[in-house]
Amino acid sequence: MSYVTIEQVTKGYDNQLVLNNISLTLKKGEFATLLGQSGCGKSTLLRSIAGLEDVDVGRILIDGKDITDLSPRQREVGMVFQSYALFPNMNVFDNIAYGLKMKKVKNLKSKVKNMIDMVDLIGKEESYPHQLSGGQQQRVALARALVMEPKVLLLDEPLSALDAKIRKSLQKELKRIQKELDITTIFVTHDQEEAMTMSDRIFVMNKGQVVQSGSPSEIYTSPVNTFVAKFIGNYNVCNMEVFRKLVRTTELKGNEVAIRPEVLQLVSVGEDRLDLQGNWGIKGFIKDVSMAGNVLRYEVETEECAFHVDYLHHRGEMFEQGARVQILVPKKECIML
Amino acid sequence: MKSSLTFHKLFVGLLVIYLLIPLVGTLLFSIAGKWDHTILPESYTMKWYIELFQDERFYDAFRRTLFLIVMSVGLSVVIMLPTIFIITVYFSKWEGLLQAAAMLPYGVPPIVGAVGLIKLYSAGPVQIAGTPWILIGAYFITILPFMYQGIRNSLRTLNAVQLVDAAELLGATKFQAFRTVVFPNIISGILVSTLLSVSLLFSEFAFANLLVGGRFETLQIYLSDKLNSSGHLTSAIVITYYSMILLLTGTVLKLTFRNKRNPVGSK
Repeated sequence: MSYVTIEQVTKGYDNQLVLNNISLTLKKGEFATLLGQSGCGKSTLLRSIAGLEDVDVGRILIDGKDITDLSPRQREVGMVFQSYALFPNMNVFDNIAYGLKMKKVKNLKSKVKNMIDMVDLIGKEESYPHQLSGGQQQRVALARALVMEPKVLLLDEPLSALDAKIRKSLQKELKRIQKELDITTIFVTHDQEEAMTMSDRIFVMNKGQVVQSGSPSEIYTSPVNTFVAKFIGNYNVCNMEVFRKLVRTTELKGNEVAIRPEVLQLVSVGEDRLDLQGNWGIKGFIKDVSMAGNVLRYEVETEECAFHVDYLHHRGEMFEQGARVQILVPKKECIML
Repeated sequence: MKSSLTFHKLFVGLLVIYLLIPLVGTLLFSIAGKWDHTILPESYTMKWYIELFQDERFYDAFRRTLFLIVMSVGLSVVIMLPTIFIITVYFSKWEGLLQAAAMLPYGVPPIVGAVGLIKLYSAGPVQIAGTPWILIGAYFITILPFMYQGIRNSLRTLNAVQLVDAAELLGATKFQAFRTVVFPNIISGILVSTLLSVSLLFSEFAFANLLVGGRFETLQIYLSDKLNSSGHLTSAIVITYYSMILLLTGTVLKLTFRNKRNPVGSK
């Protein structure tokens, strides 16, 4: 039974479709991510669920209730904004207590204190937003949304303004809190790594449509089209005609072939341990080597096109720029698009 | 580095002297007894101030000016604050139109405006020409640019749209969102706009003279009348008027500063 249902939602601005017939469902307690580039419609969809944008066509249901025409305050959803939207005139306690005060909830103090404890902000109750770090502000925004016990938690790129280290630690913390409260969460991001780390399910969006949905592993290993392949995993995407020429075969079908950079292997030309069993070999030379921490990325130029090959960075094992190499392409790792 | 700092100090010093000389001159003239062929007054007296503060006309003019200012600025805040808020947050596509309307007073010279207003309100259903009400209407328009810019800038700096969204998602109505979140955060912007408007209206002469003149004597009309009788007395009026503006500015700035240190809503 789906807990959140988006049914054929369409929305446009100035004759341009921002959301194009989107349908998706989420189970209770699921952590789903809307992933896509800027302008793909992911934030608009999130704001439509929150009731901050009207939809032109379609329905939105939460827990079986049609909320399409309800105002934001009636929807029982919580939202954390990209810029947190903390109230500058209120301290941490009052920010978190705001929603409870509006609803005239009893035991307000104990609820707020529990939430402050959960997001690890004890001692900061009297501080104002401008006295807090970005990470602390993000926790306040999260606590302010969670204290209302919403049916669905919406997160609009809440980590994008933070530096890498704090971002990583908050990713873990966010996931922990989400599991602890078993709250259905919809997270918006343009960062594929963040989406992979945090989500139970990812919806990849492009031009107002969901182009693929699935678990992080499914999305990463089986992209359905060139857009997903390029956006998700830095895939090498090669025109099929060119690829057939490179591997000297006529068997392959499809328009393009996608190959993950980490499944490719490099061997020096002339090396006798060359194993072509189950692989295709493509000759080329190292055009460029770059290092991204633990990964070495080679750009290998072949007769027809360039391939990226990723290697874990082991001490002493490195091909020099200009070295002539052969790329081993595992046949079973080639995805025909 | 040192010489460049000296240059800066010298430049600021010259500017301060340039701005202060007329004020100091006026102050000296307002307390001067005999002053005709010396650099500084030959004798000092407070008789001009005593004469001014014993003149009932001065108090009446001051009361009338205060009435006009409180009415105009109060009306402007009551009408423009919700208007600007609604346009900025809910109908942003109309913002250009409101901005253009708010800037119009800059394009119409007071004389042209006054003649038009007199013609329009001398006959017809709303005959208010020559009454203070026409002046309140004209003043409302005069201070529109200050009120508009000040309030709109405060709303923009605050990112009011997102704060209202956040408050609504937390269960607040639109009015509650405005009252509890937006208003406390833009109060200093409103105070600054109000202060600018008050200062401007205190020294407004053209509209007051053309629209109501002697029938509703304001401080500026009283000042203009006294200009013909005694320069010393006029100087005393100007210094009194500047002192009041200074007092008002100081109070508002102090309030604003206190609001920043202890934001509204703090415990």
